[in-house]
Amino acid sequence: MTTPAPVETLDLSTLLPGFVTTDTRPGYSGWVVDKNHLVEFASKLRDEFGYDLLTSVTGVDYLPDDKMEVVYHAFKTTGGPVLNYKVQVPRQDPIEVPSLVSVYPGVELQEREIWDLFGIIFTGHPDLRRILMWEGFEGHPLRKDWKEAYFEEESKPFKSRWPDGKIVQAENNNKFSDNIAYPAGFDPEKWIPEGEDALYGSLAKYEYTSQDGIKNDHIVVNLGPQHPSTHGVFRVSAVLDGEIIANLKPVMGYLHRNHEKIGERNTFLQNMPYTDRLDYLSSLSNNFGYALTVEKLMNIEVPERAEYIRVIMAELTRITNHCMALGALFNDLGTFFTPLIYLLEERELILDIFEAVTGSRMMCNYFRFGGVARDFPEGILEKIKGLVFERLPKKIDEIDRFMSDNEIIRSRGIGQGILTAEDAIRFSATGPLLRASGVPYDVRRADPYSIYDRFDFDIVVRQNGDIYDRYMVRLEEMRQSVRIIQQAIKGLPVGEFQTGKPQYQVRVPAGESYGRVESPKGELAFYVISTGKPSPWRYHVRAPSFINLTPYGHMCVGQKIADIVAILGSIDIVLGEVDR
Amino acid sequence: MDFTLILEWIIKGFVLTLILLGGFAYLTLYERRALARIQARIGPNRAGPFGILQPIADAVKLIFKEELTPALADKLLFLLAPVLTVVPAVVITAVVPWGKQSFSLFGRDITPYIADINVGVLYIMSIASIAVYGIVLAGWSSNNKYAMMGGLRSTAQMISYELTLGLSFVGAILLAGSMRMLDIVEAQKTMWFVVLQPIGTGIFLIATLAEVNRAPFDMPEAEQELTAGYHTEYSGMKFALLFMAEYTKMIAISAIGATLFFGGYREFWFLSNTVFSIDHTPWLGPVYIFIKIVILLFGMIWVRATYPRIRYDRLMAFGWKLLLPMSLALVFITAVGIILAEQVNKNLIWGIPVLSILVGLFAVGMIDRVLRRKDNARL
Repeated sequence: MTTPAPVETLDLSTLLPGFVTTDTRPGYSGWVVDKNHLVEFASKLRDEFGYDLLTSVTGVDYLPDDKMEVVYHAFKTTGGPVLNYKVQVPRQDPIEVPSLVSVYPGVELQEREIWDLFGIIFTGHPDLRRILMWEGFEGHPLRKDWKEAYFEEESKPFKSRWPDGKIVQAENNNKFSDNIAYPAGFDPEKWIPEGEDALYGSLAKYEYTSQDGIKNDHIVVNLGPQHPSTHGVFRVSAVLDGEIIANLKPVMGYLHRNHEKIGERNTFLQNMPYTDRLDYLSSLSNNFGYALTVEKLMNIEVPERAEYIRVIMAELTRITNHCMALGALFNDLGTFFTPLIYLLEERELILDIFEAVTGSRMMCNYFRFGGVARDFPEGILEKIKGLVFERLPKKIDEIDRFMSDNEIIRSRGIGQGILTAEDAIRFSATGPLLRASGVPYDVRRADPYSIYDRFDFDIVVRQNGDIYDRYMVRLEEMRQSVRIIQQAIKGLPVGEFQTGKPQYQVRVPAGESYGRVESPKGELAFYVISTGKPSPWRYHVRAPSFINLTPYGHMCVGQKIADIVAILGSIDIVLGEVDR
Repeated sequence: MDFTLILEWIIKGFVLTLILLGGFAYLTLYERRALARIQARIGPNRAGPFGILQPIADAVKLIFKEELTPALADKLLFLLAPVLTVVPAVVITAVVPWGKQSFSLFGRDITPYIADINVGVLYIMSIASIAVYGIVLAGWSSNNKYAMMGGLRSTAQMISYELTLGLSFVGAILLAGSMRMLDIVEAQKTMWFVVLQPIGTGIFLIATLAEVNRAPFDMPEAEQELTAGYHTEYSGMKFALLFMAEYTKMIAISAIGATLFFGGYREFWFLSNTVFSIDHTPWLGPVYIFIKIVILLFGMIWVRATYPRIRYDRLMAFGWKLLLPMSLALVFITAVGIILAEQVNKNLIWGIPVLSILVGLFAVGMIDRVLRRKDNARL
C-alpha cells in the first residue's frame, strides 16, 4: 500500500506567539490565525517555509457557533502535504477579513467568490465585486440562514415529497413567485436593471501605454456570453487599443447553479452524480476527487482491484479531456474543425468504453466510497488493450505530426500568452497551465494519492509558458496517460471491487477533509466538513478551471484580439466547473 | 453597333450570371461535401440524391427568414452594402474567355465571351478593388463593434493584397506581351505560364485567398474572435447576398487564375496535337476551363479544411514584408529574362523559373523572421 508522505511537524505557534493556535476541534487539523496578523503570517509561510502555492481559499459558516471561518490551503511546489490555516471572525455584519491578494494574487477570484456567497468583506481587495451571482442580488446564498425559493428542508430526502406514500412535486404546490422573498421595497414590475457600472468601473482601472506613442481612444468589447469561442456561456470584457488588449476581465456566473449549496442539502452519496456535472468532460476525475475526500473522512481502505480500475478510468478521462481541449484549441486558432473531429473520433472510442463500464458516456457516476459501483464487464479489457496498445499511440503521433510543425500553429502559439513560472505560482495556476510554465508540479507525484506511486510515468514540463507549450504539454500527457494505463492493465489484480456491502447511506465521522486529485485541468480538490449528520455541513469544490482563469487577464494584456480566444483555449476551461 | 449586338450582350450576360449563381449554389454544396470527406464525415446528403437539392433548400430557408435591421444601423448603407459586394463579384468574369472560336447561331457569329477588351487584366483589377467598399460599408453601417472591426480588417487586408495580386498578374502580362485575356491564353498554346512562373502562380494563389477572404486569411469573418465579422448583423436574403458574393468571387478568381496561368480554355498539355485539342474541337474550351476552375476551387476548400487562421498582424507582415518584395523581384526577373531570351539566346527563358524558384526558397527561409517578431523568439 501507499507509504504516507512524511508529515512535517511544524510548530507554527511560535511564529507569531499568541496569535496562532492549533485547531483543536475533533477531526480538524491546521492552525487558527488571528485575523489582524493573517497577512504577516501568510507572507512568513511563503517566504520562510516555502509554502508558495496557495491553492484554495474558502469560507465556512458556523451558524450554531455564531462565527464565520475562512480556510486557506497552502502547498509547496516542491511537493508535500497540505498546510491549512483558518481565520475565524464573529458572524456580525460587516464581517471583515484582510485580503491576501498582495501575498498570493491567485486568491483574487476566490475571495470575490467568498464575498459573493458568504458576504465576507476582504479589506484591501482591489476589485471586490460579486462574481457568480448578479449585481443587485440580495443576500449571500451559502450562508446557512439563506433560504432559496421553493425551500423545503435543510437536507434531503425531503419528507414533504411523499407525505402519504405518493410523490408530490414541490413545484406544483407553489405557484410561481409565491415563496420568493423580495428585498424590502423591491417591485419586480418597476425594476430597471442597473447596468454594469461596477464591471466597467473596474475595467477602466488600468495602466497601458500605446506602443507607438500615439494617444488613442480605447473601446470596450464584450466577447460573450453568447460567442462561438468562449466554450460556453463565458464572457470576456476587454479594453482595446486598436487590435491590442489594454485590459481584460473575465465575467462568469452565467451557468451558476450553486452546486455547493445543493451539495449541503444532499447526503454524501447523493453528491456523487452531482460531481459529474462540474467538469462534464471528465466526470470520472471529479468522482475520484470526491470519493477520495470522503474516504479520508471515513478512514476506509479501497481494495486493490478498485484502485486499478479507478486509475485506468481516470487516465482514460484525461485522454478524452485532452482530446477535447486540443481540438477546441485548434478551433480557436482558426482551423475549420478538422483536427477537432479527428480527435473526437478517439474520444468517442473511449466514451464507448465508459458506456460499457459505467452505463453512461458522459455523466458516469461510477465511483463509490470504498471502491467503484460495479466491476469491469466481460471483454472490456480487450477493448481497452486494443486502444492503449495499438490505436491511441499511433493517433497521438499522427496529431503530433500534423499539427506540431504547422507554421501557423507555431506562429500563433510560440511566444504568445506567456505566463512565467513565478507568475503561474503566484496566480495559483495548476495543471498543464503550471507545468507548461516550467514548474514540475503534478499532484500524482507531489502528493501521491491512490496507487499512482506504483507507476512509471513522467511529469511533462515545458519551459516557456506560452500557448504552444500548453499544447505540447497536453499532447505529451496523453502519451503518459497511455503509459499508465498500459501498466495498470498489466497489473490489474483479481478481487473485490468495493469494500463491504454497497450502501445508500454512509456514516461519516465529524471532521474536515481536503482531498485533491490531478484532474486533467489542474488540481481538483474537495473540501468537505462533516458534523456526523447524513449531509455534509460544507461541501466546497476547488475548481481548477475557475482558478486557472485568475491569470487570464494578466496573460492577455498586450496581445491581439485573436489571442483572447487562443489563450482561453489554451487554459482549457469548462463552464460547468467555472460557474459551478 | 446595332440593336442585335446589344441584345446578344444582354443575353450572354444573363446566361453568364445564371451560370455563376447556379455555380455559387453548387459550390456551397461542393465545399460542404468536400470538407466532410476531409473531416471523416458524410456531409449533407438528405435533400435529393447526393444532397443535390440542398442548395435549393438553403435558398428557400434564407428567403423566408426574417430580415433584421439593427435599430441604430445606417439603414440605406446597410441595404446597399450587400448589393455593392455582389455586383463586382458577378461582373468581373465578363472578360474571361470561355472558348476560342465564335460559333454561329441564328445567322450571327457569337463569341464565347462577353467583352474582349484590350486591357482585360486592368478591368479585373479595377473591379476587384470595388468589392472592398461593400464589405467596409457593411461593417460600418451595422453599428456593431465586431462588424466594424471585421470591416476595417478587410479594408487593410484587401488593399495590401491587391498590390501583390496585381504584381503577380504582371508576370503573365509580360510573357504574353498583351493585357488582353485572349492573347494571354493563346500565348500559352505551347506552354502554360505556370511552368515559367511557378512562384508567381503560388503568389497569385495565396493573394487570391486573401482577396476573397478565404481561410487561412478569413480575417474579416474570423468566426472565433469576431463571431461573423462584417456580416454579424445580417440575416435572411441580405446575408445570402454577402455569402453569394464571397462564393461568386471564388469562382471568378479561379476562372481568372485558370486563364492567366493554367492555359484558360486551352487543352491540357497531354492532349495537344490530339483530336481533343482546342484547335481541332473548339467546343471543348468551356469544358476545359470548367475542369480547371473545379480543381482550383478544390485547392481553396482543401486549404480551408486544413489550415488554422493566421493572426491579423502576421497577415499584414506576410503580405508587406514577404509577398510584395517577392513579387517585385519576380517582375524584375521575368522582364530581364524575356529581354535576354529575345536578344541573346532563346533558352535563357528558362532562367525565369530557375531564378524565381531561388527567390521562393529564399522567401521560405525568411518566413520565420517575418512571421515571428524578434521579441517573441524562443528562449
